[in-house]
Amino acid sequence: MTYSELDPEVVQWVEMLQSPDLNDRLVAAKTLQHLGDEDTIESLIVALKDDSPKVQEIAVMALWEMANPIAIPPLLKCLGSTQPEAVRVEALAALKEMVSPDDLLTLLDEVQIEDETVQLNVLILLRKIHDAQALPYIAPFFESKSPALREAAVVTLRYLNQVVRFEPALALASDESEEVRRSAILTLGHLSDEAVVPTLCQALTTDADWQVRRNAAQALDLQSTPAAIGALTSALEDEHWQVRKFTARALQRVADDTVIPSLVKALSDEYSDVRRDAAIALGNLGNPEVLSALKQTLDDPDRDVQIFSGRAIQKIQDKLAETTHA
Amino acid sequence: MALTTQRVDVPVIVDESKCLEKCTACIEVCPLDVLVKNPETGKAYMKYDECWFCLPCEKECPTNAITVQIPFLLR
Repeated sequence: MTYSELDPEVVQWVEMLQSPDLNDRLVAAKTLQHLGDEDTIESLIVALKDDSPKVQEIAVMALWEMANPIAIPPLLKCLGSTQPEAVRVEALAALKEMVSPDDLLTLLDEVQIEDETVQLNVLILLRKIHDAQALPYIAPFFESKSPALREAAVVTLRYLNQVVRFEPALALASDESEEVRRSAILTLGHLSDEAVVPTLCQALTTDADWQVRRNAAQALDLQSTPAAIGALTSALEDEHWQVRKFTARALQRVADDTVIPSLVKALSDEYSDVRRDAAIALGNLGNPEVLSALKQTLDDPDRDVQIFSGRAIQKIQDKLAETTHA
Repeated sequence: MALTTQRVDVPVIVDESKCLEKCTACIEVCPLDVLVKNPETGKAYMKYDECWFCLPCEKECPTNAITVQIPFLLR
């Protein structure tokens, strides 16, 4: 678009955006951001290559506010490792809002560029597209040397629709990096390979990192399979209360009567969240044998525990009444 | 006697060494219109002490020249 076609109000700012004086370019970029005139997009795209990171950052913000898809490819170029960090962060935030499924092919092209920073950022953006077509492009990152890329890839896998089996994800459950293991375990909760549940059970009971064990309990909650009851029962004795809490939560959906002694013991846990979730699990089991243990928690120091114990007792009594009437 | 070149008795403090003369970003975003340019220096300053501490002036300033001092009880 030539200057003559532009609104006279914006022409001076577009011209000033090319000034050799940095202060003038800053003022021009800021003013164009405030004016938000779509006709100035081309000038703002040029400003993404300005010498000053601050001008680049303002140009990114201006393009973000205009949200025109034309700006997506130039903004993707701002994600590279040669760009200043502030510009990269701003561009990623803008792209997170701007990308749509139509941009899948563009993103898949970018993810093949040999630049770890670009790859990392594009993996994050692919989570918004949810398209399983991205899987073959994500797969190589599961064997990347960079832990950050392995973690980003396994998290992205979680967001892809229709993906229920993916063996390389299982291998990351025993990755050397704790960060990768934490994310891999959570992703496994969404998959349905035969080996998923045994892998999660092993992580829950043997992993050295408590956050991995906590995530394994959360993943088993998603899986809700009786095959995990043994591991969940022993995890109720874990030294970290967060692990015990999410284990009790997982047991709310799959517990059987063999877990009752462990759950009753959890009713006197040091942490009220664990006591509450154990009470709920016992209520869901509906076994009248636990009524006396639950009644003792009605005067628990924590109000939450009192309420949920009351509800659990009510649930068991309702179930009893139903059976008696039947 | 030590002299100060900045106004520090109001919550919006403008670092005049960073403030750009042609820029009016803070003035445009201020919802209470309490920021103005000093016609002599071309630098912005807070003319009326009626600040809402809403912070767009600080955020929008392209050179980070503005600091809003939020009262302790509002932090």
